[in-house]
Amino acid sequence: MGKMKPLFSTNTDKKKYLFAGMVVVATISLAFLVNRLMPHASLSLLFLTGVLVVSARTGLGPSLLSSIVSFLAYNFFFTPPYYTFEVADDGDVATLLFFLIIAAITGNLAARMHLEIAKRRTSLQRISNLYEFSRRMSSAASESTVLESLADHLAKSLERPVQVFTMATGEDEEPEQRATANNPIPIASDRLKLVWNQGLVNSEAAPELHAIRLATRTGVVGMVVIDGILDDEQLELTKSLCDQATIALDRTQLVEDLEQAKLVTETEQLRSALLSSISHDLRTPLASIIGSTTSLMEYGDSFSTTDRKDLLSTVTTEAQRLDRHIQNLLDMTRLGQGKLKLQREWVDLHDIISSAINRASVFKDKVTINTSVTNDVPVIWVHGVLIEQAVVNLMDNAIRFTPEDGVVTITAIDSGGNLKINVCDEGPGIPEKEREKVFDMFYTIRQGDRGQLQGTGLGLAICRGMIAAHGGTVTAKDGLQGTGTCMQIIIPIEIPEN
Amino acid sequence: MSSESAIKILVVEDESQIRKFLRISLEAHNYIVYEARLGEEGLMLVTSLNPDLVILDLGLPDLDGQNFIEQLREWSQIPVLVLSVRASETDKVQALDAGANDYVTKPFGIGELMARVRAILRSSDDSSNSATVFESQGLHVDFTTREVTVDGTAVHLSKKEYTLLRLLVSSHGQVLTHQQIIREIWDSTHQDDVHYLRVLVGQLRQKLGDNPAQPRFIMTVQGVGYRFSIL
Repeated sequence: MGKMKPLFSTNTDKKKYLFAGMVVVATISLAFLVNRLMPHASLSLLFLTGVLVVSARTGLGPSLLSSIVSFLAYNFFFTPPYYTFEVADDGDVATLLFFLIIAAITGNLAARMHLEIAKRRTSLQRISNLYEFSRRMSSAASESTVLESLADHLAKSLERPVQVFTMATGEDEEPEQRATANNPIPIASDRLKLVWNQGLVNSEAAPELHAIRLATRTGVVGMVVIDGILDDEQLELTKSLCDQATIALDRTQLVEDLEQAKLVTETEQLRSALLSSISHDLRTPLASIIGSTTSLMEYGDSFSTTDRKDLLSTVTTEAQRLDRHIQNLLDMTRLGQGKLKLQREWVDLHDIISSAINRASVFKDKVTINTSVTNDVPVIWVHGVLIEQAVVNLMDNAIRFTPEDGVVTITAIDSGGNLKINVCDEGPGIPEKEREKVFDMFYTIRQGDRGQLQGTGLGLAICRGMIAAHGGTVTAKDGLQGTGTCMQIIIPIEIPEN
Repeated sequence: MSSESAIKILVVEDESQIRKFLRISLEAHNYIVYEARLGEEGLMLVTSLNPDLVILDLGLPDLDGQNFIEQLREWSQIPVLVLSVRASETDKVQALDAGANDYVTKPFGIGELMARVRAILRSSDDSSNSATVFESQGLHVDFTTREVTVDGTAVHLSKKEYTLLRLLVSSHGQVLTHQQIIREIWDSTHQDDVHYLRVLVGQLRQKLGDNPAQPRFIMTVQGVGYRFSIL
């Protein structure tokens, strides 16, 4: 754009001349129609209007042409002597001159206007392209998105092949092609390395290419190679696009660093939670055991028989508690490492629930346990030990949270292809917003208060893991009659393939 | 506290099993034992029962042991023995600096606990008696004349060394944190200058003929402070 084009150089020019001719013919026809109604001098105004229309819509050439043809037609058809090109009146010569002058002026104006509009349109396009590009840059989430967008956009605006490289990390440091648009540029890797190191625009190593390096605050992170030589305007554009891409790369790098840091912190937190959990949960029962046994050994002779029995029962219950913690930790490790292999077998749910009740918390005598398993609950094809452990974990919690003389209710029903097991307690209930969190590892309600409820914060996580292995879910719901909590296990009832 | 039979001990601990063996063992030694499961309950019992010693678990459900000690120390100097499963030294130091007299780390043998209980009760007894002479394992300290002898041989101590020795023997058996000792000997502006204290302890041990690797008198409690040998 912005260059004068020769006449008839393009199709659009031909169209413009055709348009001019058509307008003139239309003007002549109109002039014949209105000839009777107005004096011939006024007809010149009609032709002038035609010329104006042509010059406003086209450019200088067509408007000059139309002014000449209009004048000739006016002269031939509508001025005496009719049907000759003779000019009887000097006034008609003046008319011709006016026609030419007006055509020249308006044609010029129109041409300039068209040019201006075209320029505006291109710059608008460029701006909206740039805007679109910067929008993509600022929303790009990863390095590769940035690099691909850059290659795409450069190739589109420059209309030539573009390639983007980054330095491969590792022992053999070599520029690595990351994104390419249009055709790949043939360039040998040793030359590429040279270009990378020189990092010059239009470097000596590759005079027919343009190479622009992308340098962030941490150093050169990438390089753009463009096939061919760029003019100043294109170079400016390319540079500004590269600058934006560099900022975006900087940002994505920061985001990645942050993510990394977050991951490290989370791992660290999990590790310290694990450590404090182990140290608390293993040492507390040990403290009771060691304390009781040393008491018996050192002062046992002076104790009453009841006291001695009491201390011995402490040793037993605490040793069992310790065993449960260790079992939990082992289960968790198995689940965590994904080594859990389901060994499905036909199991009667009644058996699972009754043995779960037997295994459940040592404090189960302080509450009443109601069970209701409907007879239509089928024999199920599951890994029995895991389902039992999941139910035991839920019951341990239910018993622990239910006040003395309260009721723990266990129900199981077959609900359209799913087995639903509910374990409901009369405890304090779980606030709505904590109902999902209780399944997190090491999460216990009322943090910092581990001793009272003796939880590891692992039981529910393990329960969920074991049920999930069967394709089921465990969720916390409102308790019966509005108090306490119901833990609901839902397992799809499966049938073995053979 | 004239006779042992009158000594009252309050156990503040949320683990019922630990409370049980503590009660049985302490009662076998003719102490009167009261129990509290929660911190608030414990503080109330201290006011109503006025016990001679509080055995406190640091990890209470309702109240951090640290807060318990701070609240208690606002109005009472009753000795506190801390039980803690926390492995971290800073927790113990914090508890001691807050005003606890000593600590036992869970799990512990009952013998160790009993020794600590006796040491605390004895030293609180000593201070009320304001003894003028200290005698233990060949070490003789006369508080009126400031004379110190080891196995009959006179030892000449500097003013600071003597202050440190007096501090340790007057609460013998109990651990004193670095900060507590520094505060007494220098002032609070030297709070972080633990190395001064190490040098001073080294000098004192040398003069007392104490082998730092197997000390007879001054025991190092790593990361916490020092205590005078309990035996």
